[in-house]
Amino acid sequence: MGKVLMKGNEAIGEAAIRAGCLNYFAYPITPQSEVAEYLSRRLPEAGGVFLQGESEVAVSYMILGAAAVGERVFTTSSSPGISLMSEGISYMVGMELPAVFVNIMRGGPGLGGILPSQADYLQATKGIGHGDCRLLALAPASVQEAAEMVMMAFPLAEKYKNPVIVLGDGLIGQMMEPVEFPDHLATEPPNKDDWAVNGMDTRNSSRRNLLRSLYLDPEVLNQHNLNLRQKYERMKKEEIRFEAYNTETDYKALIVSYGTMSRVCRTAIDQLKAQGLEVGMIRPQTVFPFPEGAIEEAAEKESCEAVASIEMSMGQMVEDVQRSVKGKRPVSWFGKCGGEVPTPEEVIEFVKTIV
Amino acid sequence: MGKTFQKPEALADQVTHYCPGCTHGVIHRLIAEVIDELGIRGRTVGVAPVGCAVLMYNYFTFDFMEASHGRAPAQATGLKRVRPDLVVFTYQGDGDLASIGMAEIVHAANRGEKFTTIFVNNAVYGMTGGQMAPTTMPGQRTTTSPFGRKVEEVGMPIRVSELLASLATPGYITRQTVLKPKYINRAKKAVKKAFQYQLDNTCFSFVEFVSTCPTNWGLTPVEAIKWAEEKMLPYYPLGEMKTPEEA
Amino acid sequence: MKTKSIQLEGIVIIAGNYGSGKTEISINLAIDRKNAGVAVRVADLDLVNPYFRTREARQLLSKLGIELALPPDELLQADLPILSPLISGMIRQPGQLALIDVGGDDAGATVLATLADAFAGRDYQMLQVVNPLRPNSDTISGCLNIRNEIEAAAKMTISGIVGNANLIDETTPEDIIRGYDFVKQLSDESGLPLHFITASVALLPEINLNRIACPVLAIRRQLVPPWKKADKI
Ligand SMILES: Cc1ncc(C[n+]2csc(CCOP(=O)(O)OP(=O)(O)O)c2C)c(N)n1
Ligand code: SF4
Ligand SMILES: [Mg+2]
Repeated sequence: MGKVLMKGNEAIGEAAIRAGCLNYFAYPITPQSEVAEYLSRRLPEAGGVFLQGESEVAVSYMILGAAAVGERVFTTSSSPGISLMSEGISYMVGMELPAVFVNIMRGGPGLGGILPSQADYLQATKGIGHGDCRLLALAPASVQEAAEMVMMAFPLAEKYKNPVIVLGDGLIGQMMEPVEFPDHLATEPPNKDDWAVNGMDTRNSSRRNLLRSLYLDPEVLNQHNLNLRQKYERMKKEEIRFEAYNTETDYKALIVSYGTMSRVCRTAIDQLKAQGLEVGMIRPQTVFPFPEGAIEEAAEKESCEAVASIEMSMGQMVEDVQRSVKGKRPVSWFGKCGGEVPTPEEVIEFVKTIV
Repeated sequence: MGKTFQKPEALADQVTHYCPGCTHGVIHRLIAEVIDELGIRGRTVGVAPVGCAVLMYNYFTFDFMEASHGRAPAQATGLKRVRPDLVVFTYQGDGDLASIGMAEIVHAANRGEKFTTIFVNNAVYGMTGGQMAPTTMPGQRTTTSPFGRKVEEVGMPIRVSELLASLATPGYITRQTVLKPKYINRAKKAVKKAFQYQLDNTCFSFVEFVSTCPTNWGLTPVEAIKWAEEKMLPYYPLGEMKTPEEA
Repeated sequence: MKTKSIQLEGIVIIAGNYGSGKTEISINLAIDRKNAGVAVRVADLDLVNPYFRTREARQLLSKLGIELALPPDELLQADLPILSPLISGMIRQPGQLALIDVGGDDAGATVLATLADAFAGRDYQMLQVVNPLRPNSDTISGCLNIRNEIEAAAKMTISGIVGNANLIDETTPEDIIRGYDFVKQLSDESGLPLHFITASVALLPEINLNRIACPVLAIRRQLVPPWKKADKI
């Protein structure tokens, strides 16, 4: 199959099917309802399970239940819905269950608005659920990348026995771009018989499986948390992904930006280059784990005078950027959050104030 | 009844943590016997609640998982939808099912999910120390209704079986009890029927148990049984509220 | 070679499957007709898309003297399916050309059924926009299927076809020619006339227009993501 023109939300739905996930539970919310609309037709045709749950709370537990029997399963939602799912996500981390959650972020807090935003950054990377709970968080910047990240997310979730979140903003869900679904990302799920509650007969075993997140013995719970921490540390070693742009030049400023915002920054960097000012960019493709090392190294370049975190949020990722730069260069923040995406001109104007 | 002393295969060789006179243990045993008799242990998955029965998986010998408070029906929906060949049941208290998890049970029942729910109504939150539940009787004192349940402030107790029976979707809804030996046979038949409907892929099935919590009620086991019979049974009548054949 | 001119007047409903390019076509068609001296009005009847709607081009259109029927300003970005009373007014008095841009699929076309009273006894044309590079309209049967669904939902009849083969910036001249052949075949099999096809202004010079028997609407993209500039009108 060649390239087709798809809306981000449709591509996300199709990508899951291509990745071998035929189970989807969801609750409608703008700007991602097209995923459910698309899959409500596509999944029955593909022999899968489509169910609209009564709330995001219920949906997160339907996901948990389906993951518990060892099936690939995913859901999509937008900011307020993810807040409701956060309890279920925490239980899944505690039970060590793989699944994929997609957040097509809209403006907040509260109902906020329906336009694109990146305001759930801290929630996704640091506060997705109660307890010591982290998710690998992938941040696509195009429809193509959204499709690929959804496909990659399933084996990653299985590798770590932990949910993975794909963090897109409203524009990633709503815009149309040509897309292709790479065959090599269609993976076989591993055998899950050592933990799945899929019935002893299924496993041909007389040993029963038990899934729980309750550990009343403090020593046992501490050990459980240490084990989880080890997984997060392993993610930091093995899963960091980022893209460098214009960093081969002697750039005077370094931008850190992800998702839709990074596309605007790219245009700004091209225009600044034409005006004779070189600016580099590190675009995190994983926001947890965060590409700290790459950012530190890029900031240390002789020519680099300043670093900016440019986000569609009120200064969230900048905390991670500051942490990465370790005070070696001044770090500032620029952004907007409410639906209006900063324009290339606004980015240019801001960059000029820091060099 | 020599057979009563023989341990069902589905039941683990464990002493339960339940208080003396608590009905949870008897209900567990009925479930285990039914699972043995139907020969479905190898394909059954139980979903435990958050409540006094949170550790119930220690007493069974088949696949089990915890749920978060009230969400067992959503979890069971996920399990059963992707693996319709499994036998799935939830076991939930009245705080779990009728308060925090009311939306999940109503919608699962209304979708006609093909799993079974065992609902233990002991008129209080047992695990957290006897607070008021949606099923607490009018005037009943609990740790959060120290002057007795005031219906003008918090309404009348919810009759969950009647509520679920009012849904137009076909289902099997029954209320039972194990307060005295004379009730137990009928209760076990109901549990078996509930699992059979699931095995036949007929409908959602639901067995409510009018139960006791002597510890939090502040009564001896014998007094607790008497209280449940006198106070609860008239308000929560036993019997089948709905069968799929009626629909 | 100059392309043939598009002949459309009265009420023209732009329908089609989700993401087929209805809105971009409505905007460009409105401008094309306005430049040809026709008085044009446009109604944004897309109640299903939250972004990339005709309302995004409202300043441009009104500057060009094209009247636009929209929900009230304060509700423009609301997550509400608002049906402005202006729209039934426009249907009752369409003037020379009234373009109605509806949302995608049968879901988007459903709103037309609620306007049945306004449409009663009036002539209209309903065009199905087809992009064969979209997943559900890549086969003739897929397109016919969409046609049936839209007609059932709208309780109205589709009267013609518009070809809109494109992969946005990645479109090649071959895509346009192959897309033309596809909609030509669709037109033959369905008996519906092919009104026009589209091509971006940048591609037009590379296309052999002798191959194309219908008019070609030049598209100057207006619905662009924030990191791109809309084409100059
Ligand atoms: C989200 C959440 N809120 C509150 C609690 C605390 N909690 C644990 S059990 C329980 C009530 C259990 O009562 P019931 O369901 O009637 O079961 P019983 O113990 O009576 O069998 C509560 C409120 C919790 N675990 N999770
Ligand atoms: S507290 Fe009540 S419900 Fe809980 S085990 Fe004791 S008697 Fe049973
Ligand atoms: Mg209780």
